[in-house]
Amino acid sequence: MIEIRDLTKIYKLSNKKKAELKTKDSEKVAVSGVSLEAHPGEIYGLLGPNGAGKTTTLRCVATLLKPTKGEISVCGFDTVKEGKQVRDKICFLTNEIKLDPHFSASYMFDFFGGLHGIDAETLSKRKEFFFERFGITDFKDKKIEDLSTGMKQKAAIAVSLVHDPEVIIFDEPTNGLDIITARVVTDFLRELRDKGKTIIVSTHIMSEAQKLCDRIGMIIDGKMVAEGTLSSLLAQENAEDLEDAFFKVYKRVMGEEKIS
Amino acid sequence: MKGAKRIIKKELARVFKDKKLIFTMYIMPAILMFVIYGLIGNLMSSMNNDITEHTDIVTVVNAPESFKQTVSATGYDAMASVSYTDKKSYEANKAAYEDDILNGRADLLVVFDEDFESVFNAYANKGDKIPGISVSYNNTENYSQKAHNVFNSLVANAYRQTLQTVRFGDLERLEVFNVTENQIVKESKKGTEFLSMLLPYMIVLMLFSSAMSITVDAIAGEKERGTLSSMLLAPISRTEIVVGKLVALSILSTLSALVYCVSMLLAMPLMQNGMGAGEVNLSFISVDTVLMLLGTIVLMNLLFVSLLSAVSICAKDTKTASTLVAPMYIVVVLAGVMTMFSGGTSMPLWKYAIPVYGNALVVQQICSGEAQLSSFLATVAGLVVMIAVFVGLTSKAFNSEKIMFNA
Repeated sequence: MIEIRDLTKIYKLSNKKKAELKTKDSEKVAVSGVSLEAHPGEIYGLLGPNGAGKTTTLRCVATLLKPTKGEISVCGFDTVKEGKQVRDKICFLTNEIKLDPHFSASYMFDFFGGLHGIDAETLSKRKEFFFERFGITDFKDKKIEDLSTGMKQKAAIAVSLVHDPEVIIFDEPTNGLDIITARVVTDFLRELRDKGKTIIVSTHIMSEAQKLCDRIGMIIDGKMVAEGTLSSLLAQENAEDLEDAFFKVYKRVMGEEKIS
Repeated sequence: MKGAKRIIKKELARVFKDKKLIFTMYIMPAILMFVIYGLIGNLMSSMNNDITEHTDIVTVVNAPESFKQTVSATGYDAMASVSYTDKKSYEANKAAYEDDILNGRADLLVVFDEDFESVFNAYANKGDKIPGISVSYNNTENYSQKAHNVFNSLVANAYRQTLQTVRFGDLERLEVFNVTENQIVKESKKGTEFLSMLLPYMIVLMLFSSAMSITVDAIAGEKERGTLSSMLLAPISRTEIVVGKLVALSILSTLSALVYCVSMLLAMPLMQNGMGAGEVNLSFISVDTVLMLLGTIVLMNLLFVSLLSAVSICAKDTKTASTLVAPMYIVVVLAGVMTMFSGGTSMPLWKYAIPVYGNALVVQQICSGEAQLSSFLATVAGLVVMIAVFVGLTSKAFNSEKIMFNA
């Protein structure tokens, strides 16, 4: 269970950053007043263009960033005050966070299992299960740097699930993967949902969100602009598919001229 | 601190499970040390042997009979190829003689005044003319330099004494008095100059350079590769991560520095044989001095690792980190060099508490058999304070989202 209440995240901009962003403002509002709830047994999708604030929101949930305003609770624990407990309940996968390439998938699984305080027997059972499930048993003792991109991603997923987390946070889960690996990942997310896990993913791929997510929140320019199930969003916007619905919302929020 | 322990284990496994890394970090430097020192020693001794074995080519012009007798009496004519010539043929070929010395074809040219013996015999009162010998050699040529030294100490001295005996009969009249010199030296300090000058500098340098290569990669490199953030998601505190990392890095780089120092000490005799330096006195080695030395080395290493971590974590990649660390390397080298030339003088206690410089002074004291508990404790206190500061700064940086996530 994830509850985000009125999350606002403001970054202070250094002079270098100001020059990069071509702005004179000394602050950038990345997320502004976002509230949402994600429940066990559902996949919640955060949909939005690049720079809308999806990653920032997820990083705040994962305790990597502290909210400027608002509160986030994960399984009843506050992300700021009870960071350790929150980290024990979640797994967070993103492209920028990687496994140490000098070690094998098997070693990393044991290492993170140890950090989560999991006993040896449970650990070896889980390892066997996940490595079989993702087809990495044959490569488990190879150094991660010697694995293919798809294999690396599958190893990262297996390792992130070592502590059987209640909440799965996935930032752009299929980004950079071939369609076969991408399918393995999305299938597995559905499997986890059916086991009653709370899942939140971010994506800018409309077709993926349409097929995968039970509920969708659209984030544009740091604000939550629409939220609901796929069917309710389509009905609300009188649209044929999610992409259509998204553009209608986008036009309404940003104005006609921004799109063209 | 269970998490810190696991991190230490993992960081050590990274090196010790990798044969290639073990070789490049610990075995190759030791081999290199032996090869380099052995090579230097060998080259130097073969150069020295070559110079000693060379037969000097000496030309003596206008030599008086008494001089020729001295040459045979001292056995100089057996060691050097001495040829005698007269003033006339010398004057005719003066330029050629000088050219030979200039170009290393001859080593020494000794020219006696034409009327050497008669002037010597005619001397009666103060102010009378005294005879002269002109000696020409080339001090940029090893052979010529050596020929000059040997001629002076062996032949010229003996000849002077011969003539002095002729003039005064009794040489002791000239001697006037005897000087007896007694050296009062502590046994423990004998032969420590070489080690106490070199070792502190080498230890400081080795510690910093091994800490530098390991830490920059383990902190800035991991940050750049995105593997550090995976650790931030584990249910442990950031301080545990910092402690785990720093302890592991210190173990790795202390080991590497020890490999350097021990192989240097072991390989040193190879070089000294060549240089003809005296015995190195290792009598300072005892249980308490080795403990003090190890304590200083371990703490100094922790200082370097924590300092380098604090800097590396603020850099966005290894390249930036290396750039930031380079000036520190220069400062550390300078501090090491300063101790090379401040040995033997007594210092106020606070100077030993100065990081790096004071630590190197303590190492120097220990190596010269002058270990003192008070200066050791001052150095430990200074180190502990600085380590605490840099560990604090590193932890602070680990907690900063701006530094860790560029947010």
